[in-house]
Amino acid sequence: MEKERFFGVNWQSMDAGMPPEMNSGAAAAAADQLPNSFLNLGWEQPMHHDVHFESALSSLVSSPSSNAPAGNDSVIIGELIGRLGSICNSGEVSPPSRYQSTNTSCYSTPLNSPPRLNLSTMDHQQQGRGGVPVPGNQMAAGKFSPFAADPGFTERAARFSCFGARGYPGLGGQFGLPEAGKLSRVSSSQSLKAVQLGASDNGKEVPVSEPERPETETRSKFGGEAEFGNSQEASSVSDRMTAVGAENNARKRKAASKGKAKGAPLSSSNMNPPKPSDGEKSDAKRCKPAETDGADKDAAVKPKTEENGDVGRKQGEEGNAKPPEPPKDYIHVRARRGQATDSHSLAERVRREKISERMKLLQDLVPGCNKVTGKALMLDEIINYVQSLQRQVEFLSMKLAALNPQLDFNMETLLPKDMHQALGQLPQQVYPLDMASTAFSYAQQLQGTPLQSLVTNSLDVQGSLNPLESSLRRPPTMQLPRLDGFADATSQLGNLWEDDLQYVVQMGLGQSQGTTAFSSQSMPVE
Amino acid sequence: MDNQDVRPLFSPESDHASLVERSRGIKMAAEVGLARSSRDRHWSRALRRRLLLLRRGTASDDCGCQNEALTSSKVGGDMGVGANEEEAVEVEARVRALQRLVPGGEELGTERLFEETADYIEALRVQVSAMRALACLLDELRERRG
Repeated sequence: MEKERFFGVNWQSMDAGMPPEMNSGAAAAAADQLPNSFLNLGWEQPMHHDVHFESALSSLVSSPSSNAPAGNDSVIIGELIGRLGSICNSGEVSPPSRYQSTNTSCYSTPLNSPPRLNLSTMDHQQQGRGGVPVPGNQMAAGKFSPFAADPGFTERAARFSCFGARGYPGLGGQFGLPEAGKLSRVSSSQSLKAVQLGASDNGKEVPVSEPERPETETRSKFGGEAEFGNSQEASSVSDRMTAVGAENNARKRKAASKGKAKGAPLSSSNMNPPKPSDGEKSDAKRCKPAETDGADKDAAVKPKTEENGDVGRKQGEEGNAKPPEPPKDYIHVRARRGQATDSHSLAERVRREKISERMKLLQDLVPGCNKVTGKALMLDEIINYVQSLQRQVEFLSMKLAALNPQLDFNMETLLPKDMHQALGQLPQQVYPLDMASTAFSYAQQLQGTPLQSLVTNSLDVQGSLNPLESSLRRPPTMQLPRLDGFADATSQLGNLWEDDLQYVVQMGLGQSQGTTAFSSQSMPVE
Repeated sequence: MDNQDVRPLFSPESDHASLVERSRGIKMAAEVGLARSSRDRHWSRALRRRLLLLRRGTASDDCGCQNEALTSSKVGGDMGVGANEEEAVEVEARVRALQRLVPGGEELGTERLFEETADYIEALRVQVSAMRALACLLDELRERRG
């Protein structure tokens, strides 16, 4: 099938790990061949880390299809909606799910069943909605449950994670539905990095958060953590985030992971604190040996230090580990044996290690980088990968243009004049949202069939789902620029949760494209 | 869409120009979507700035250029110690290439650049998969209609 071929072009090499569930899930969605192919195609290029999530998604989609009434547009509609929702969710949720999966994998030494968690999570969600991803709350709740359900896991997580056990209860409430992070992706990526750092090294400070933006990090972390609900780990992270957000930028990064190194042996290395790089941080901070669990919970509170964690490995081995100490505002970096101990060298060394840490993260992101050694070659791979992704975007945009000859692209609506202001309000959105709006106009031309209205609604839903998905992390205010032809061309689409979804499902069966589908219920962001 | 167009991947020549235009427009929409997807990232802001400038008809990248000087010093210092000269030069060249690829990269030091790159890669991936899904969906619709 053309689609399959098309998909085949992609980085499928990293799909090697696709779990069987996904295929079975896709197969299960046998009600309609169409959705099947969609499912397979849609998830063929998930990240390696997304495997679990993808499988969860596939099961999510397939289950509704099995429940749907036989044979009809409703089934198709359900499938399409589900698919779109899933796609949206995969885009939005994947980072956090990635976090989860990686997190679980990191912590899975004791646990050993990350996929189970994810799948069970997804199962929770399937309850009602005919394939439409349940509103973020539910999804989050679903995700929470697996984690919360395993006390042993949480305990281990607490022990291992750098977050330590600090004031979880307070945090749980924060995530609630919150406004949690602005960027699920940011949080997830950070979490991901943290996890990776932790996994590779141990300790996990939230990796790479932008030093300049503690708030953002806090929020993003909240967002990422929201999924964990009350899990200790999450709470610790959120706790950390809160602390980060609350406290400051001024603080130097502490070896966040300080207390929490996951891998015991390496943990000591973890503690290596990220030294102030580029003058962002001020003092050298002390990094605690990973082994000291919980010792540095407070230290972990310090913002962004993620970098510390990974760098820690080398340093730890060098005897950088220190006995647990009360959290401080600075990090001490111990000099390696036989190396200069002046502050310049130390700072330089820490910095280099931070950079190596980052490169490791990138290595995990870019498929095929593991076999390459050396900075230059790795950077080559990374550059090639970014270029190829950008080319794919171009190619796909060309393809979409070819598919929709009537599409009229209106930049006015896409980039409103008050863009900066709008940007401030825009929540995380589905990436192709703008294209979805162009597709709307396309779909608009297709009058008369339920499927078409479904498409328009689905496309709308696609946008809606995204915010739904991220509602936990931040208030969803989906703003979909409208194209000409809609009632209020300038209005922004807000998205709702269940109401919209229900409406969409009904709409799919033949209602005209009304503005109802695009009811703008913008919820104030932040 | 008329039913006769079974699979017009490429319209007649006369439409080629419009195809290119439209694809550019769609690509810009994709970039807007990309930028919006990750609002708080440096690359996202830089991308938005760029798009806004394009939209307003002035494609000026002054902001990026100004910081080159800053960047060079940052980049230079990052890999120096511990790597021999040749390696450092090579690595630095690649870092610069990466800076050009990632929106807003010119202003960043190596460490921040890598962070932004990681996030940018994730965003691109999701964007690509979403676009692909959209293309498939529309494809299906066309098949159904036709």
